[in-house]
Amino acid sequence: MDDITGLPLEEDDLSVKESPFSGVTRGTWRRFRKHPGAIIGSGIFLILVLLVVLAPLSPYDPEASDMSIRNQALSFSHIMGTDSLGRDLFTRILFGGRISLTVGLIVVSISLLVGVPVGALAGYYGGWLDALLMRITDTFLSLPSFLVLIFLSAMLREVELPLFQRNSVLTIGLVIGILSWMTFARLVRASFLTLRDIDFVSAIRALGGSDFRIIIKHILPNSIGPIIVEATLELGYAIIEESGLSFLGFGIQPPTPSWGNLLSNAQAHFTTYPWLAIFPGLMIFLSIISVNYIGDGLRDAFDPYKVLNKVGEVT
Amino acid sequence: MTYYILRRLIQTVGLLFLLSMILFALVNLSPGGPLAGQGQSRHVQPEKVELLKRQFGLDQPLPVQYAIWLIGNDWMKVDVDGDGVKESNGTRQGILRGDFGFSFRTRKPVLEEIGERLPNTIYLMSITMLTAILLAIPIGILSAVRQYSKFDITVTTFSFAGQAIPEFWLGLILILVFYAWLKNPFTGEALMPSGGITTLGLQGFNLGDRIWHLALPVLTGALGWISWYSRFMRSSMLEVIHKDYLRTARAKGLPRWMVLYKHGLSNALIPLITLLALDLPYIFSGAIFVEYLFAWPGMGRLYYQAAEQRDYPVLMTVLIIGATVIIFSNLLADILYAYLDPRVRYE
Amino acid sequence: MSATKRIFIFLAVAVILTSSLAACQQNTQPAGSDPATNNSITIVIPEDPPSFNPVITDTGYDSLVMELTMLGLTDIDQNGNVFTEIAAELPTTENGGVVQDETTGAMTVTWKMREDVQWSDGVPVTADDVIFTYNAILDPNQGSWIPGIDYIDSIEKIDDHTFIIKYSSVYPGYLTQFGGEQVVIWPAHYCDASQGFSAWDCARQPLSNGPFKLEEWVNGDHMTFVKNENYFETGKPAIDSVIVQIVPDQAVRKTMLINGDADLDMWSTEQMIDELKDVPNVEVSMSPDNRWVMRIFFNLAAKGTTNPIATPHPILSNVKVRQAIRMAIDVDTIAKEFFYGYAKPAWTEFFRPPYVCENVARPSFDLEGAKALLEEAGWTDQDGDGVRECHDCRTAEEGYPMEMEFITYSDYGEPLELTQQFVAEKLGGIGIKLNITVVEGSVLWAASTDGGIEQSGNFDMDIWDDGYAGIDPTDYLQSYYSTDAATPDNGYNYGRWSNEEFDSLLEEAYTLDETARLETFCKMATVLDEQVPEALLFTASNADAHSSRLQGVQSSTNDIVTWNAANWTLK
Repeated sequence: MDDITGLPLEEDDLSVKESPFSGVTRGTWRRFRKHPGAIIGSGIFLILVLLVVLAPLSPYDPEASDMSIRNQALSFSHIMGTDSLGRDLFTRILFGGRISLTVGLIVVSISLLVGVPVGALAGYYGGWLDALLMRITDTFLSLPSFLVLIFLSAMLREVELPLFQRNSVLTIGLVIGILSWMTFARLVRASFLTLRDIDFVSAIRALGGSDFRIIIKHILPNSIGPIIVEATLELGYAIIEESGLSFLGFGIQPPTPSWGNLLSNAQAHFTTYPWLAIFPGLMIFLSIISVNYIGDGLRDAFDPYKVLNKVGEVT
Repeated sequence: MTYYILRRLIQTVGLLFLLSMILFALVNLSPGGPLAGQGQSRHVQPEKVELLKRQFGLDQPLPVQYAIWLIGNDWMKVDVDGDGVKESNGTRQGILRGDFGFSFRTRKPVLEEIGERLPNTIYLMSITMLTAILLAIPIGILSAVRQYSKFDITVTTFSFAGQAIPEFWLGLILILVFYAWLKNPFTGEALMPSGGITTLGLQGFNLGDRIWHLALPVLTGALGWISWYSRFMRSSMLEVIHKDYLRTARAKGLPRWMVLYKHGLSNALIPLITLLALDLPYIFSGAIFVEYLFAWPGMGRLYYQAAEQRDYPVLMTVLIIGATVIIFSNLLADILYAYLDPRVRYE
Repeated sequence: MSATKRIFIFLAVAVILTSSLAACQQNTQPAGSDPATNNSITIVIPEDPPSFNPVITDTGYDSLVMELTMLGLTDIDQNGNVFTEIAAELPTTENGGVVQDETTGAMTVTWKMREDVQWSDGVPVTADDVIFTYNAILDPNQGSWIPGIDYIDSIEKIDDHTFIIKYSSVYPGYLTQFGGEQVVIWPAHYCDASQGFSAWDCARQPLSNGPFKLEEWVNGDHMTFVKNENYFETGKPAIDSVIVQIVPDQAVRKTMLINGDADLDMWSTEQMIDELKDVPNVEVSMSPDNRWVMRIFFNLAAKGTTNPIATPHPILSNVKVRQAIRMAIDVDTIAKEFFYGYAKPAWTEFFRPPYVCENVARPSFDLEGAKALLEEAGWTDQDGDGVRECHDCRTAEEGYPMEMEFITYSDYGEPLELTQQFVAEKLGGIGIKLNITVVEGSVLWAASTDGGIEQSGNFDMDIWDDGYAGIDPTDYLQSYYSTDAATPDNGYNYGRWSNEEFDSLLEEAYTLDETARLETFCKMATVLDEQVPEALLFTASNADAHSSRLQGVQSSTNDIVTWNAANWTLK
């Protein structure tokens, strides 16, 4: 590292000027702003996040029951009604949103933490390392992932380890995460394959830049576009997958509320107390549709000419 | 090409072997265990537990269990009555000889169980996929050709919404609206059936009745696919439209529809077909939510029940079949891609 | 060939292939009878029965279809009383059917069978079938286990319709040993003994001697039963066919009942009963009592251990704490709110006939009293965090917080989970902090070697419903409260409670003298009430919702509504 300290300016200069691929530039933001869906989506998503973050400001306790107001319909004091223990549904949904979004974030973090290094190493070094890492990726890709997810979460429901207590938020996040990092690995590998031999990278290498530095400082920032897009979409998948697991009884276990288990608990009451099911469903719908619009906007913004991103397929 | 396929097939065998080991370990190491999951009785009598362990072969160490699962135990002596003496040959043949064992729940051969469910799942899923494709292709093409038109914007919005609705949620709503609330004004009966493949007791094959029973499950299952394929088709078509050769063709004075049909469509369809091949596994694994809500006797429900009740042999068989189908679908996708797109050649 | 052509060829092939795949779903409708006639009923259940042999799988659905098709020597009515099926009469000491040898303690039971009971193929049901069934269960390779089978020395045939069971000692549960909702007599001439009791084909394609016979079983979809023309009760059954339809979703089953597409949905939840009570064409049958009593199990050994002497529980080993907890649970509110009034308080094991002990008073709900008991036991909240700590409590070190895990199982459904949350919240209000957990029943009850939570002592308190089948509680008391059952996997004394007085009372209960038995049971009731090894709370009636046109449905204490299906009629 020391031997390139004399050349920081030129080095940074290189990567900004000659970056031929989708890094974050001023144009990206401009194009994103022009995407109406993405702007509305971002707006909705921001409001959701804000509400969820401010959940503790609610005047109601998400856990405390009140037998006198069980299963009440919408009113001014309870804008989404109350649930079967007389708890304010709006408050429960906000706290549930914290859980659902946390699951999403855990899934995305795990996918990034596993997928990006795997893809980067495979793409940058190639050879046997590439072959080995890609075989592992293929093995994971060959798993019928939703079936494995069901089975793993059914099984982990009973595990009692310090951090993995019976389908806690972390457990569910981890399980979904380890079944979804492969897309990131393939994506990163593909862009590393194209970038590693490009002129400016060769130039830096010739200047004596270490591999680690080249990967982190030069190639990764230039392949960040697709990663961000994929991560956005992944957040939506994670929320929908958690809710699906909850529907089958394998998701995050009550009393911890998540959008998924609030919805599945309300299923039996649908004909009698429809609001219990409508609002959690609406939250899932809103969060996913906004996230998908953001992802779409980002894709267009990063990649104005290439409308279609075929990931890791035969080239 | 032949060499390429051959190489891929060999890799596949290795991959499946590896997967089977991982899955077997995962499935069999899970807590709870099939003995605890025997129905909903409050507890299995301790007297029964030892008996069941031997009957299920769970008294063996895990690697031995795997070996027996793979190659059977009819060539070795086993202890059947639990007295510690190995007296007679086992009865298992192992999956390599087509014996996937018996279900812990029903004590029936696993393949028989799957044989009862698989046709129903293929029936439902192939119609779902077919419906999705047949609707998605024209929708995708139209919205690409008329990019940013009202049609395009509506379709795009709907396809975003379609992908954001949880499948089980949609199914539930459809059942409530069409089974619980809406009535047939002439007969006073529910407008649509609550589920099942046909009306019970109906004699022979009745196409109308079949379609009537398929409508809601197919709609529930297909919405997500329609959204996904039409978006894919749209972007795929857009990419082709912006290609130089299409501009060239138009510049040569060919009519617009001719250009779109001859050059655009076929090139835009290639990626979609590849994608379809990759989605083939869904036809076999089924749709758990749809099958559950619409009482459809398919693979998804079989698997769900097996996961709930720790029916290891059924779990393992479905997972292995699933993995096999995925691997072969990938291979098929690659071959199709090469076959359809003359520019692609494999070494 | 151009790419365009290739693509269209491919698409055509794909469409043809998928259509033909779709067509390979075979048409499985029966050719024979037409079940859609008016004289047919539809029962909806969430999953297939694994077989017709509940001894092997015990899901309840197997018992449901078993009761439609097969008979035992006896069965149990809605109140838990035993009545005869294949047996001609119930053997008792009075009628000479039961003889006890005073010197050896051995017991001999002589069973006389009806001579007019036939299998649906016309072959009579004889003593050979009983002996065949017994031997099949005993088979060490493929057999199974039923309660009390270890007490049997032998079964001897006297003639075709008489046989003797010789017991090594008094076995009070003899009446339902080859009957009830689990055990039936299997046809010796039809079942293949070499396939084994646990796996034989006749458990999936049974030969009927009951009111109905199985005609068709489409896995995951439906089962069709038709009237058994050879059924021994003349003029019964009045219904021509029964369809058991598999519908996984509870809300759909309920709607089918309302829409008139289903006639019976077993095991209705309290919430459903409440919703259906105003629906004109639906009725709900309630059982007079329920065998299951909702109760809290206290682990007297420290969490994770199973020996209450070596490692006593820091909080629960003090009986005053257990009494305080019982005192702080508002059973009436739970029964009213979560069970919609369809649960009634129960505080002793001996609350239903024939063994009713009125010497034990219902514990009062008294929060102040509970607090006082906790103070007395040395648990006070001195740091003001809302959770009591040990201050001179003698069961834990000074300052130990009163915080525990409170478990229940998910399979029961919402009312129990709400109850659990409610109890935890209210106990939290008096300074007992409970962290709640919901697990699958199978994990809660698994053997300790399989990581079962209760057997390995890996809990502080848990709440679930339990109770004894039939009318005889002796086996149950033995396996839940005796010292013998207080070690892992030797029984279900999960709290590891041990009491000499109770143990000796239990030995006295092995007698055929009914007056003495009742007296003994009521002494036990007092011990259990004072020591609180479990806190019994309430019992929720078993309920089954059915269409109004279906008459004669009577929900039973033993859960299985089809016990009297032969008597059902259609309006």
